[in-house]
Amino acid sequence: MLIMGGLLALAAGAGFIGALSGLGGGVFIVPALLIFAHIPIQIAVGASLISVVATSAGASVAFVRDGWTNLRVAMALECATVTGAVTGAYLAGIIPAWVLELLFALMMLQSAYFTVTKVGDSILPRSDKLAARLQLGGRIPADTGGHEVEYGVVNVPGGALLMLVAGLMSGLLGIGSGALKVMAMDYVMHLPLKVSSATSNFMIGVTAGAGALVFLARGDVATVIAAPVALGVTAGALAGSRLLPHVNVQSLRMMFVAILVLIAIEMGWRAISGF
Amino acid sequence: MSNSTTTDEERILRVWTPVILRTILIAAIVVLLFGLFSMAWQSSGYYVAHFHRLQGHANYQHRESWSSLASTALHGDPHGIMTIGLMVLTLVPLARVAFCFLLFVKERDGIYIALTAYVLIGLVAGVVLGRVG
Repeated sequence: MLIMGGLLALAAGAGFIGALSGLGGGVFIVPALLIFAHIPIQIAVGASLISVVATSAGASVAFVRDGWTNLRVAMALECATVTGAVTGAYLAGIIPAWVLELLFALMMLQSAYFTVTKVGDSILPRSDKLAARLQLGGRIPADTGGHEVEYGVVNVPGGALLMLVAGLMSGLLGIGSGALKVMAMDYVMHLPLKVSSATSNFMIGVTAGAGALVFLARGDVATVIAAPVALGVTAGALAGSRLLPHVNVQSLRMMFVAILVLIAIEMGWRAISGF
Repeated sequence: MSNSTTTDEERILRVWTPVILRTILIAAIVVLLFGLFSMAWQSSGYYVAHFHRLQGHANYQHRESWSSLASTALHGDPHGIMTIGLMVLTLVPLARVAFCFLLFVKERDGIYIALTAYVLIGLVAGVVLGRVG
């Protein structure tokens, strides 16, 4: 079965690069399906959403077990992401393909910017009024080890607004929107970077799941594409995450940026041609 | 970790969440693998034809009732089996949120019961919206 094997390999490659870059497989599998398998974007988005659910389910288990996920922050912000994802997935069935391709190109550029500008922590000692009322602050192990340090959370409305956009993009484009989620928690709400990453991982599955449920219920998931894609991306992501501690990701960063920019150009060109 | 007042819920989460999520995830992957191998073994012609039909066909929709889907899967139809596998996979986030809801109910945390209920309702609303939309 050449086609099935090809799809599995394509998906495994996307999952592998997604895990190494920290951007997730969805960012790479949608353009891969469009460019190499000539699959329409709506079908690629449906398949990708399912694969995002599968990979995040495996990845976030370890983070929750290790205690980095801030469950309260996740649940408070899921209200925004799920609203956005359901709306986005609904709209994906209505709006023209060229609009989706153009949005995808813009998201690629945002991901490239995120990859280049990743910065360190800016931990605040205490939460603002709303975050304190929602008990969003927490504790993390200190860098020096031994004891824990408290961190505060601020600007919940700003973070929620960005999460709404992240959810919308996830439902529309079949991506996890991890870069946007981490930006919302790290830059806007000032959570520690590792807590932002772990909480984002926890949230990605629920956000993508919300979008996937709309696609599945509508009958927009092509099983013959989605099944090998989900399995391939999961296997690739697993291999990528195993390799991650042994490679110098910094040295690969510019290569990821180049890939993202190339995808953005290709998707932008498709959008213009389709229009 | 995240919150100084959530020690109990964290302990329960650490024990049960990985077990439940892994079980559902593995079940879904096994079903998908079985469906995929059955498709490759029994209906490779159908697979190739279906794949080519999808290429360049933007308005794909294949809506089946859940009862007929379950029936075809039980009769060993690879397409039905794979679709069931995909559905089980999407249960993972639903199960995760439902589990959090139960934890907050146990904690009697009114704000988070409401927030988690909203997320759960949002997920169910997505199914309804997809069905009618």
